Amino acid sequence: MKWQISCKETSALVSRALDSRLPFGDRIAMRLHLAICRNCARFARQVREMRQLFQAGADDIVSPGLPDDARRRIEAALRRGPDI
Amino acid sequence: MDALDAQAWLTEHGDYLFRVARRQLRSDEQAEDAVQETLLAALTARDRYAGEASPRTWLTAILKHKIVDAIRRQMREVELPRDADDEEAVDALFRADGHWATPLGAWGNPQTAAELNQLRHALATCADRLKPAMAQVFSLREIAGMETEEICKELDITPTNCWVLLHRARLFMRQCLELNGFSGAGA
Repeated sequence: MKWQISCKETSALVSRALDSRLPFGDRIAMRLHLAICRNCARFARQVREMRQLFQAGADDIVSPGLPDDARRRIEAALRRGPDI
Repeated sequence: MDALDAQAWLTEHGDYLFRVARRQLRSDEQAEDAVQETLLAALTARDRYAGEASPRTWLTAILKHKIVDAIRRQMREVELPRDADDEEAVDALFRADGHWATPLGAWGNPQTAAELNQLRHALATCADRLKPAMAQVFSLREIAGMETEEICKELDITPTNCWVLLHRARLFMRQCLELNGFSGAGA
């Protein structure tokens, strides 16, 4: 079992931990590294923050809504109904 | 009556659905199509909607499927980027011994609504700059909130591939934000 891992490996584990449960050894190695490495700890914080911002942001992000011409087109399509 | 329901959904949720679709598909045209397909599908499946979820939640669930369909089509059209390029770009962020090449800047703590909006805006801009394959996996995961297993199945890639793409996307997103000025204490 390899306990000492690099920043590069740690960043990969930090990322993977957001998507799946890490195997025990990887989890320990990651935590040991994060405890002593400021940059990786910062990376871990920032990717978590990024996720929160995306999840909270779907509603109020400033982006244009459905364009009028598309809206009219969809309205017409709905009046015709689904073509089955 | 049927059509009325769907018209009301369009009026009330059209903008929302379009924004969600546009952020993931990164194309106005495809986002418009996805909204139309969603509402037509909703109209067809109206009887199965028992009203346990809010209409928006229900419509968003349908939209997700339509987005995945569109992304699958995109994947076929888009030439997958050469893996070696991305690997090089990742390598550039680290020294040969695996340490970060440059120290990571802090993001500070956006306090005001304006600062928060600015950060969100930068996030959206940076997400737009990701390469297609990376952007697709990233947005399915972070914006649509799909589980990686689902993503792998939908896009027909291995979990390892998925994790590699997500790792790269996150590294590039973080770097892009830093380059866009979200670094330095309190800034």
